[in-house]
Amino acid sequence: MTENTMETSSADNAFSTFHLGTSLFGINILEIQEINKNFEITQVPHASDYIKGIINLRGQIVTIIDLGRKLGLNPVQKNKDNKNIIVHSENEHIGLLVDAIHDVVHAKIHDIETAPSNIGEIKGKYLQGVLKNKKQLIGILNMTEILKD
Amino acid sequence: MTQTNAMAQTSNGTINEPEDTSDKGNASIRVHVRLLDTLMTLAGELVLSRNQLLQGVASGNVRATEVSSQRIDMITSALQETIMRTRMQPMADMLNKLNPVVMDLSQQVGKSIALVIEGNEVELDKTILESIHDPVTQLVRNCVDHGIETPGERESTGKKAMGNIRVRAFHDAGQVNILISDDGNGLDPLEITGASGQGVDMTGVVAHIESLGGILEIDSQKGVGTDITIKLPLTLAIIPSQITCVGRERYAVPQVNLDELLRIPLDQVKERIEKVGDADVVRLRGELLPLLDLSQMLGIEKRYVDLTKGTALPDRRKNIADRRSKRHSLDREAAIEMVPDSVSKMPDRASKDRRSGTRNAINIAVVSAGAYTYGLIVDQLQDSEEIVVKPMGRHLKRSTAFAGATIMGDGKVALILDIANLAQMAGLSTMPEVKQLTTASEASVHHEEPKTALLTFKNSENEYFAVPLDSVERIERIQTAAIEQIGERKVVQYRGGTLSLCQLSQAADVKPLTPKEHQEIVVFKVRDRELGLMVNPPVDTIAVCLKIDKKTFCQPAIKGSMIINDHTTLMIDVLELASVIHPEWV
Repeated sequence: MTENTMETSSADNAFSTFHLGTSLFGINILEIQEINKNFEITQVPHASDYIKGIINLRGQIVTIIDLGRKLGLNPVQKNKDNKNIIVHSENEHIGLLVDAIHDVVHAKIHDIETAPSNIGEIKGKYLQGVLKNKKQLIGILNMTEILKD
Repeated sequence: MTQTNAMAQTSNGTINEPEDTSDKGNASIRVHVRLLDTLMTLAGELVLSRNQLLQGVASGNVRATEVSSQRIDMITSALQETIMRTRMQPMADMLNKLNPVVMDLSQQVGKSIALVIEGNEVELDKTILESIHDPVTQLVRNCVDHGIETPGERESTGKKAMGNIRVRAFHDAGQVNILISDDGNGLDPLEITGASGQGVDMTGVVAHIESLGGILEIDSQKGVGTDITIKLPLTLAIIPSQITCVGRERYAVPQVNLDELLRIPLDQVKERIEKVGDADVVRLRGELLPLLDLSQMLGIEKRYVDLTKGTALPDRRKNIADRRSKRHSLDREAAIEMVPDSVSKMPDRASKDRRSGTRNAINIAVVSAGAYTYGLIVDQLQDSEEIVVKPMGRHLKRSTAFAGATIMGDGKVALILDIANLAQMAGLSTMPEVKQLTTASEASVHHEEPKTALLTFKNSENEYFAVPLDSVERIERIQTAAIEQIGERKVVQYRGGTLSLCQLSQAADVKPLTPKEHQEIVVFKVRDRELGLMVNPPVDTIAVCLKIDKKTFCQPAIKGSMIINDHTTLMIDVLELASVIHPEWV
């Protein structure tokens, strides 16, 4: 649903941006359920390396993905600014662990440019496009691809 | 009799959990208005108690806080039970669908069969009810197809021409039992163990029942008939589990997989734990039990708690055999602290020394699933708890070592172990394979008399007693100060309830116990209740050939006597003991 609105309208879209290392990324705010700071993470042995573990989100078990590792960047370093971005996908909630939350950026869909096939070490399929901000480029993430198991 | 059990797990590796209704999100269920009214009342009660609790906390009134937390505890249990009941549906629909099946099939194969159905009113969780429809139908079809003989065959063996199939559902010991019995040809013991008699392939049915956390038992006599009992849990969402610790994390072992708990003091490790090739095995009542080290399997660093500093440190001892302290003081400490060789001993719940000895003993949960039986080495054994099973996300579907997750009292998440998959991951051989090997080598040598496992303990210094191990629920060690006296009765608060305590001298002609700081308690299950018998250590188990002398020491609650380890040991009759202490129970 979110994707449709994004593609058909040229209205303002809001992107929540966040840091992974020195890079800045954004997720359409409509895809985010909440952002929290729950780090009572239970590790799951034998899971993929980008799985940080699972947490209890008000009685639901939520898988936490280390977004740094998932994108092929450095793993998220333990830090007081760490946050989980909780998104809803295919009847479950999934948390994305990021280094720090940044601003909310407003942009029109046609402002998003096609991402170069290879930004740094990030695989192109994880990026929906790139948004030019005043200071920095923001990688807009393709959530469907990232949340695939 | 073949018996198998397994975790509540479906073939795709996830718990068959009621919450997980993604594919049938629109399904509805009929609930009695009376149940909804009860729920409303309870919700009101809950709000009231929460307000009291908030007030108590705000004003710092400890007493008020305790009272309201007790109320909330009670209300939560009642809520849980009532909500569970909304999921319960009578079995009538499913059972009555069997009638046409039997009628059609018996006509096709030219047999004359009467089907009797009992227990239409028995209720079962909707999810379980839906998923047992197929296996039960399959089993009844088997009865018609292969169990019951043709009228001619029946008459030639002196039976009535009409065969009988009886399907009976009933509650027993907190489980729903479905008994399918026929008076047909029966099965050979060999056919039962092979789970396929006369072309009846039972493996699929067995796997299905196991996936629901159930048990399938077959009892058959050649020429007389077959009884198949399916035992099912009332619900899948809440399962009693043993909580264990490895490293910083807790892991839940479903009680249905748990056989017993074993704690081997360091000074006995050398004798009891042996190496066969690369594998560790423990000698348990004369049998060799394979051992799996959970921390190794999961790749977690072992930790032990340093009691003097109260800090947890990584444990670098790699091999089990290395876990023998070279410091003598520790060895001695272990020896004093441990009841020697105590099997099934629960960690002390009440006292602070519950974790002591963690580094001085190896803790093993003896588990079984399907054909696997093995010992799981963990850092600590904690309490057993009723846990709510939660499904894990799709990214973790491939983590087959776990059957799901649960949320503990402190809000943290603990994983639920999948005992069968862990065994497969470790490449354990199943028990029948092991048994075959041993029987092949032993069969030619000699035939042993059957042995019975007994739990032995003392009453006063020179009075030795024993009970059959299978009548024992648990062994606990409590602080004597925790025992409350109400009228003539002694009780102790225990797992949110009250456990009635007694001592042997109340029933039999033996000496009364002398009070000491800690008290060992053997917990028996008597009918639906629990009775705690206060005893003195050493509490031990032994497998013996029963030769009970019923004459010398015949008195109330005592079955007789026999010589065990050079001591005259009195055998306790648990039922009789309970009936003397609590005549109203029996």
